[in-house]
Amino acid sequence: MTRISTSELRRYLLSGQIGRQGCQRVLRAPLVPRPAPAAVGHTRRFLNTTTTTATTTTTTASPVTAHEPLRKQLKEQAKALKASGKKKKKNSDNQTVPGWELTVGIEIHAQLNTARKLFSPAATSFNDHPNSHVALFDVAMPGSQPVFQPATLVPAVRAALALNCTIQPVSRFDRKHYFHWDQPAGYQITQYYEPFARNGRIVLNARDGIAAEDGDRIEVGIQQVQLEQDTAKTTAQPGDVQWLDFNRVGVPLIEIITRPQMHHPATAAALVRKIQMLLTSVDACVSGMEAGGLRADVNVSVRRTGDLAQGLGTRTEIKNLSSFKAVEDAIIAERDRQIALLDAGGVVLGETRGWSLGSTETRRLRGKEGEVDYRYMPDPDLGPVVIGAPLVKHLAESLGMLPDAEIDQLMEQHGLSSKDALSLMLLDNGARVQYYYNVLDQLDRLLGSTSTDETGHALLAANWCLHELGKLTDSPSDLRMTADGECSVSSVGLATILSHLYKREITAKVAKDLLWGVFRTEISPDGITQAIESEGLWFKELRDDEYADLADCVIEGEDKVLKEFARFKEGKSRAYPQGKLMFLVGKMMRAGPEERMDPASAERVMKARLDEVYLPGLEAAQ
Amino acid sequence: MSARAGLRRGHVLCSLTRRGSGIGRVGVSSAQQQQRRLLNHFISRAPPLPETPPHNGVPDEPLSQPQAKSFTLAVKDNIATTTSSLPTTCGSAFLASHHSPFEATIVTQLRRRGGVLVGKTNLDEFGMGSHSVNSAFGPVAQKAKRSAGGSSGGSAVAVAEGEADVALGTDTGGSVRLPAAYTGTVGYKPSYGMLSRHGVVPYANSLDTVGLLARSVGAVAELVVGAGRLWAEHDPMDPTSLSAAARARCASVREGYQGGLPLPRDESSQSQSPSLGERYTQRHGSSTLARSHEAEKSPEAMVKGVRFGIPLEYNIEELDPCIRDAWAAAAERLRALGARIVPVSLPSTRHALSAYYVIAPAEASSNLAKYDGVRYGSVRADSDEDDSKTTTDAADGGVLYAATRGHGFGEEVKRRILLGSYTLSSEAMDNYFLQAQKVRRLVRRDFDRVFALENPLHEPEAFSLSDLPDTVAMENKFGPTEVDFLLCPTAPTLAPLLENVMAQRSPVDAYMNDVFTVPASLAGLPAISIPMEVAAEKEEGVSAVAGLQLIGQFWDDARLLAVAGAVSDILKAVPTVEGR
Repeated sequence: MTRISTSELRRYLLSGQIGRQGCQRVLRAPLVPRPAPAAVGHTRRFLNTTTTTATTTTTTASPVTAHEPLRKQLKEQAKALKASGKKKKKNSDNQTVPGWELTVGIEIHAQLNTARKLFSPAATSFNDHPNSHVALFDVAMPGSQPVFQPATLVPAVRAALALNCTIQPVSRFDRKHYFHWDQPAGYQITQYYEPFARNGRIVLNARDGIAAEDGDRIEVGIQQVQLEQDTAKTTAQPGDVQWLDFNRVGVPLIEIITRPQMHHPATAAALVRKIQMLLTSVDACVSGMEAGGLRADVNVSVRRTGDLAQGLGTRTEIKNLSSFKAVEDAIIAERDRQIALLDAGGVVLGETRGWSLGSTETRRLRGKEGEVDYRYMPDPDLGPVVIGAPLVKHLAESLGMLPDAEIDQLMEQHGLSSKDALSLMLLDNGARVQYYYNVLDQLDRLLGSTSTDETGHALLAANWCLHELGKLTDSPSDLRMTADGECSVSSVGLATILSHLYKREITAKVAKDLLWGVFRTEISPDGITQAIESEGLWFKELRDDEYADLADCVIEGEDKVLKEFARFKEGKSRAYPQGKLMFLVGKMMRAGPEERMDPASAERVMKARLDEVYLPGLEAAQ
Repeated sequence: MSARAGLRRGHVLCSLTRRGSGIGRVGVSSAQQQQRRLLNHFISRAPPLPETPPHNGVPDEPLSQPQAKSFTLAVKDNIATTTSSLPTTCGSAFLASHHSPFEATIVTQLRRRGGVLVGKTNLDEFGMGSHSVNSAFGPVAQKAKRSAGGSSGGSAVAVAEGEADVALGTDTGGSVRLPAAYTGTVGYKPSYGMLSRHGVVPYANSLDTVGLLARSVGAVAELVVGAGRLWAEHDPMDPTSLSAAARARCASVREGYQGGLPLPRDESSQSQSPSLGERYTQRHGSSTLARSHEAEKSPEAMVKGVRFGIPLEYNIEELDPCIRDAWAAAAERLRALGARIVPVSLPSTRHALSAYYVIAPAEASSNLAKYDGVRYGSVRADSDEDDSKTTTDAADGGVLYAATRGHGFGEEVKRRILLGSYTLSSEAMDNYFLQAQKVRRLVRRDFDRVFALENPLHEPEAFSLSDLPDTVAMENKFGPTEVDFLLCPTAPTLAPLLENVMAQRSPVDAYMNDVFTVPASLAGLPAISIPMEVAAEKEEGVSAVAGLQLIGQFWDDARLLAVAGAVSDILKAVPTVEGR
């Protein structure tokens, strides 16, 4: 029996939608190759493998496992909505509370893109067979010792440079103690006293989505960036059973700690988004927030405006936020909770709080009295990390173009809107923009042009890479975009379709059908032109006189409409009745053979007929 | 070992010469075995070897060098071994059934050199104790029901009883030297970073060293600086093992390392001082100790001209008078043979013990955090008052771990974990842990100031003469005499009776035994304890023996072992004191 893709099923079951191809087509059509479960698609790697291919930058792996189960999300959303009993305010209208000032600092944990763990030669992996990449030190075998893997410094230093940090020539590792089953040694090795990078800053522009109150641009300081170990992955099983996967234990992370310099929730979310973009662009990070490669903790405090002498209010920390929206929502909810508490004469307690998706309130995890004393201690087995200036210099020089510069380029030279440029950069963890460049290269080649000054086709390519490609699937991951910018629809395939479209050899509708065919592997990317030929899809446009005949047919009996044009011409109404014109064009399109018509041409001819024939006729009649 | 030495111990077993008789377990009567069992010095023993040539001890590995003569080797049970009959328990209930999946580097190294494993020796749990009584497997005893010292007590007794030619111990604050002093054996603690700790279950990483125990200094010297050349081997699995380049650099400014190591180009070019060696020659003229190891000099010739420092601060009130007398007599004897005896001052000594008992428990509390019942030991949910909480809120309440850890660890270990957890807590950190680290630096500076050789790990420091106590005599206008080695007792008392140890009112009393051994540990310096007969009443025919400790500058292990061998021979040849 043919299987239907889960996204298709989900759309049908949850939203009652059937794909535009109809259910019959879905069943008969060759299947979209489903994203293979990561564990199957990979050759198994073994401990201490010597191959350099062990790098698992599996951007193609399905991120589904990192998501909360959908049912749980929906349930929580419904519950939260019911509990609040009122509709939430739109976030963009909720950035400030009169009389209060909000202060936010953020800690971001990101998995580094490395081949080995931080202190053992075991390979890093994503969704591999559980407990298949574990060295003795990773599970704290008595007598085993950490062996620092210097290669982990490369992405770490790149990340710190992208955040404009000063790289410390000497840094050290400390032990942070707490008991948890996902922490085999009873401590995490981190850099508490002497982190490897300090004093960075990050600039957020209006286009990054900061709150309108922050104006055009705001600068947020980075206090420090430190290297540390990840913990094991816990999977809850029925009946109070927890499964532990030690593949993740010891995987290198960086923790980025900002200064408490943000005062609006949207700006905080924008910061996290921007940091993800920066880390991706310098290849420091394995995967983005949606795939669980990035997690944020936010520190929130409020104080009355004008109360500057008092210093910041007591802060609370909200742990483990896993989406940009969660960052913004959680901050708003926590700010409102603190303000309500203070207004009622209460005091804010320094405590750790949690947030679940879709809820309206943060919840208390542990208070100060339950606060863990981490008992930081320099790790006595590990020497200092000495980072030489030549390494820093080399990495700084090979950092490549940073996202801000790239967005500027996309906007100025390719004519993209800031929103589209930003979306391109963010989608598929940076792979989408690469795909766009590939398509544009191919398109330039096919059209025989080399200049991108001619923004026409760059804009066309961008539109299709973003919007038309996006319509193919529910989840961007179904496109199986690779880091070097290829996906289920090869860049050559899309460029071929677009070249025909650009030259007006096919209609947009045909182009969309072709794209769908290529995506479903019904049409091979190099057989597109042939398919157009054999299916007779070439755009054989009506001649102008044929358009004119159609126009004449359509206008018949539309005297009321014609009067509108006459009123404009006589100066009785100030605006040209464009809507009426388009109404007529639409009628024309319906009346004629659509596959041979271009709405633009139809509009042109219709307008000419009106101006040259009908209006003078009307005047003459008066 | 001379017949005389055997007689002096007054123990019939000791007169059996083990050397040259191959494996040392031949000709032991069942009665003797019975008696030994009471000593409880082994936790597990290797199965009897087949009567084949001993190089079969390492069947799987090709021998990298011509097979040296084999020797029996006992291994302290906190050092990982893979033999199926030999678990690695650390003397703890937590690891009672722990079979290590890998072998400690030092065990592999010694097996390659002919070591044949005879068993794993009893110890204070995780190395924490001074009498080897804090073991989940029961206390260790030595002959005459005396304390074997700790924590490597089992290893020391195995050597003293002739059941092993060499025993591995670990020395964190004196855990090899103290048992050696109590049992009349030789206990050597190398420079920190010389012998690999990979596979040694850590107690306090920054202080832990692998030590060797034997009946003669020569047996140790042979393995470390002689044909064994253990000193030259870097272990990439141990991040605190000195790199080959650092070893070459250190050895290049030291004597007695035969063969040396090729000095890597980059290292020698940026080496802080090729002048270090020059300085040494300038200051000392033609060295009297040059090639002392290879030249078969007589012991008397070896000590001639050597400067021994007598640390004034070590003459403490608690020092047993008979040990003080023997120490003075030994110094006098060396002076008579042409050595220089120089009183020196180590002003930070009085804080060293306190610093040690802050740093070591702090690191221990961290190292032992992994024993939580999830992977080691068994979960103790039954003892909890609130079982439901155990399962639902274990991480927050800590209940799951608290019960398991409370049950699994012995009293002394729990005491040190609590102590360490406190000194690392945010409110106590500054007053304890950081202060202790400062004291540690001062202790190291004290040593650097009295030793003629510079410490190759640190830039030379300038010392102000005004800091010195008045008691220190000046050599010339530049300062007091600098010395080659420090000469002091290993422990302030003789081996106490076990029953007295067990009856000690305060567990802290035992900490006092480490007062002379801890400073060298804090500074990472090589030190060795050799037997020194003292004039005390004989008990059950056993004449009392104490330990005489020699401490050298960092990486001066080769000279230290050579001179300790000579001093040991001198002390044996002429009794330093007559029995009263």
